[in-house]
Amino acid sequence: MKAQRLFLSFLLGSLSTQTGLFTPARAESPDPTEAEYYKITTFPTPAGAAMEVGSVEFLPDGRVALGTRRGEVWIASNAQNATTPGVWNAQTLKFEADPAAPAKDSISYQRFAEGQHEILGLAYKDGWLYVTNRYEVLRMKDETGAGKATRFETVCDKWGVSGDYHEYSFGSRFDKNGDLWVVACLTGSFSSKTPFRGWAMRVKPDGTMVPTCSGLRSPGGIGFDADGEVYYTDNQGPWHGACTLQHLVPGSFQGHPGGNAWYSLAPNMGPRPVDPNDKSRMVIERERVKELVPPAIYMVYGPGKIGNSSTAVVCDLSAGKFGPFAKQIFIPDQSHSNISRVFLETVNGVKQGAVFPFLKGLRSGPIGARMGADGKFFVGGSDRGWGAKGGQPFAFERVDWTGKVPFEVHEMRAKADGFELTFTEAVDPVTASNPASYTAREFTYIYQEKYGSPEVDDVLPKIEKIDVAKDGKSVRLKFDVLTKGHIHELHLDGVRSAKGAPVLHPVAYYTLNEIPAK
Amino acid sequence: MNSLRPLLFSVFLAAAASAIVVPATAQGQDPIEITLKTLTAQMKFDLNDIVVSPGAKVRMTFENPDDMPHNVVFCNPGTDVVQLVMKMLETPEQAMKNNFLPEDPKVWLKSRLLNPHEKQVLEFTAPTTPGNYPYVCSFPGHAATMQGVLRILGEGPKLEELKFALYHGEWKQLPDFSKLTPHRTGDVPDNLVQLNFDDYKNQYGLVFTGKLQIPADGDYVFYAASDDGCRVIVGEERILNDDGMHPSTIKEGKKRFKKGMYPVRVEYFQSTGEAELYVGWRGEKFDTTALSKWTPPNWKKGVVQKVNEFVGMPLEPKEAPVIYRNFIAGAGNRSIGVGLPGGFNFAWSAETMNVALAWRGAFMDAARHWKNRGGGHQAPAGFDVVRPAELTPPLAVLDAPEAAWPSFVPDQPLEGYVWKGYDLDAKGLPTFHYTWKGVEVDDRLEAKGDFKSGGTLVRTLTLKGNIPAQAYLLLSQKGKLNASGKGFAVQGEKLSLVGTSYSNQLLIQAEGATAVGDKLLVPARKQIQITYAWPELHPANAASIAQ
Repeated sequence: MKAQRLFLSFLLGSLSTQTGLFTPARAESPDPTEAEYYKITTFPTPAGAAMEVGSVEFLPDGRVALGTRRGEVWIASNAQNATTPGVWNAQTLKFEADPAAPAKDSISYQRFAEGQHEILGLAYKDGWLYVTNRYEVLRMKDETGAGKATRFETVCDKWGVSGDYHEYSFGSRFDKNGDLWVVACLTGSFSSKTPFRGWAMRVKPDGTMVPTCSGLRSPGGIGFDADGEVYYTDNQGPWHGACTLQHLVPGSFQGHPGGNAWYSLAPNMGPRPVDPNDKSRMVIERERVKELVPPAIYMVYGPGKIGNSSTAVVCDLSAGKFGPFAKQIFIPDQSHSNISRVFLETVNGVKQGAVFPFLKGLRSGPIGARMGADGKFFVGGSDRGWGAKGGQPFAFERVDWTGKVPFEVHEMRAKADGFELTFTEAVDPVTASNPASYTAREFTYIYQEKYGSPEVDDVLPKIEKIDVAKDGKSVRLKFDVLTKGHIHELHLDGVRSAKGAPVLHPVAYYTLNEIPAK
Repeated sequence: MNSLRPLLFSVFLAAAASAIVVPATAQGQDPIEITLKTLTAQMKFDLNDIVVSPGAKVRMTFENPDDMPHNVVFCNPGTDVVQLVMKMLETPEQAMKNNFLPEDPKVWLKSRLLNPHEKQVLEFTAPTTPGNYPYVCSFPGHAATMQGVLRILGEGPKLEELKFALYHGEWKQLPDFSKLTPHRTGDVPDNLVQLNFDDYKNQYGLVFTGKLQIPADGDYVFYAASDDGCRVIVGEERILNDDGMHPSTIKEGKKRFKKGMYPVRVEYFQSTGEAELYVGWRGEKFDTTALSKWTPPNWKKGVVQKVNEFVGMPLEPKEAPVIYRNFIAGAGNRSIGVGLPGGFNFAWSAETMNVALAWRGAFMDAARHWKNRGGGHQAPAGFDVVRPAELTPPLAVLDAPEAAWPSFVPDQPLEGYVWKGYDLDAKGLPTFHYTWKGVEVDDRLEAKGDFKSGGTLVRTLTLKGNIPAQAYLLLSQKGKLNASGKGFAVQGEKLSLVGTSYSNQLLIQAEGATAVGDKLLVPARKQIQITYAWPELHPANAASIAQ
């Protein structure tokens, strides 16, 4: 190995005058594929049901509760261990159970409740299943032991609903204080017809509702990081150049002023913030609107990038059972039928970090998702109302780590003059220290009322210096310019692992809200 | 067709039918009208296959009833439209500046970027080269599903060297013409199959023979419509056999042919009455082409095909009640629909804590909410929808019975009420719970009997706690009240839901119910039982309502 490396550095030396030609390619390492590292099992779904999973929760006995867009709650048994995938039936447009499969390898379902109004939140506590529907949090329980919920208790119904399709409500699980969070979509893209549309609220254990953040547009999911901080995803549209992962800091304004009339009903939130200026930039408006918290991550929009429709926020708390990304956040995309991976850090008190592509090939449009402490990642969804690449009307799937570590950027941290990358395994120092292995670009979005934004204000930085750590596990990149508020797009097409493998997903998008002092 | 049909009638119909020939051949001057729409909340066009003749003048109305912007971009044959849009987005700023309309030589026609609820008329001359011209919405993220194909199809070859043989005879089905001697034979100068020879009217047969050039190997569809029977033979193959006496409906037969010249034989007979004969064909590379002089209405049917039509998703209570929490028209925004086995249904409002609607027959159609993004209000699927007491809170303390009943204002907290939820009994029947001024209230409705045989809906309210003085339950408001037997016949206010009007009549019976002006009140007490019946089931009472 050592000899080979020496040989390569010799080769590099000989080519250094024409670095553009140096595109390392080692024929002995075929392109790795995602499936080598993460396996997707698409489960059969029950006959006669549309398993449009909107939320996933675990019960204490390990069974998995699924809340659906058609208002049903299903309890899945053996979901962790089932290995038999569903068999696609083009007539019924469903993945159907394989009757020949032994029960120990098969998932089974029981319908626990029905008739609810689009369940996009499930949380279990003390024998109750807490359900978020379009206009209330309720809790349900089976009081007879027959396996069907008999009691449906309203917990909180203090936010509005008008009949508009856009007014979805996503509910969290219980946070570290025992509160449950609700994020309520605006009425359409621009306005809020009824109280607290476009807000995040906390529901206290006694059912009281605390309006907590304003400025939401169209949430697609809500969840916690490893520290219990609360995040939601928002979707491209007015005041959102792209989909985002946003940190729900109590008291904050999240960027879309359409629901700000409801400050009148939320004295705890203080006075209404000044409205952002149209056709501006997030970094500029942060100076004007003191309550404005910038998106922690821009889930860069467009084909071949991160996604078009971010949904659930799933933190890996499996301590390695889901692979090398412990404590990172996984975000499915309903439109691209994929999952992206997010590394977050705090700089100057603001959350920011990098998003990486992670896994493609889900069969419908993922919405609800959850990972267990055992590293089993459940995801389900539907393509109803919006197309999904997966192509099927609904699906419930499990993603398992195969035990093989992919060669990936593990973490990407901002530094005063560039970035520090760590890798899941040692890099080849030759390729990793070669500037030609990288390309970088900095851009941002217009912060505007108009729907979406192109990528603007391009800066093409130079990578001035590269230091590869002795153990090969990290690489320090010095940029000639960092741009506050810009997304820093870094491609690592030329970087190889010490074993010669290319980076499985050789691109990162870092949202640089703050530049650290060191 | 029908030998019993009066002769006059058949003359009239024949004249009417011949008039239809005109629009089918007049493609020259008037533009072809096509309406292309976006489907609300589905990321699709309503049409994904449009067929137009080469060089045709087209007036296309492009409508965007959706809630997001859309455009339509027509491309040259062979264009990968998803690729086209991706390429455009490689220069996002430029794309944005162009309103996401690609500047690409592959594009030959495009609309504006239409905002929600806008429309635009596109007038254009269709390409003269036959082919499949894909179209797409190039707004980011839409191309994968918002696509279609404009097919430019010319006409196919026509019959050549067409001859006819006319036979006289009275048949009820096609005879074996080979054993008969024709009355007369001759050439057909315009090479179109036709019945317009003037020496016969009824009881005859015709055999047309000619040649047809199959332009290339491929699948070909032949069409025929005849009154009475006919048969089409191409080469050795009997493509269509529509024998017997019948009116004309278009039939089709599909076969694969190798390129070449084929003999064609069309056999036909007419008994009496109407006489019609249409023959046509269609290939992969050409549009439906008439081989006869007469063409039936919509003979190019399928030229514009509707896709993605919604079909209903009825929710049917069978063994147990069905609960449907969704937007039910006339029942506010937090209604809980309950369909009971036996054909009684109601919608309980978790805003007003009251029964908002009751109806008979079918329960709900979930298609509006379960086939798209889930917005909008759906009216009950059944009939005889009644709304006894508008959207009002059920209980109030009145200074005097004549005092105005408190009203419900959407999105305003309902003073004094807290919604607590519901539970289901062993039969799956819900009991709703709320508190009012500290009083715990249970509200439960069940069916007594079947809706078709005199059944009623019985509602029981149970109040636990200190009931305030002068507290009342409102049974009905703003209607006409007539004492009727033990109860009241109520002609409620005019009720119209999503365009359908209902008579809003019902019979309400509760012990202690009193009519006060246009209000029907019961003093609040520990338990109140209310019976709702529909007047049709009680003809005697229906009469009193009618007064």
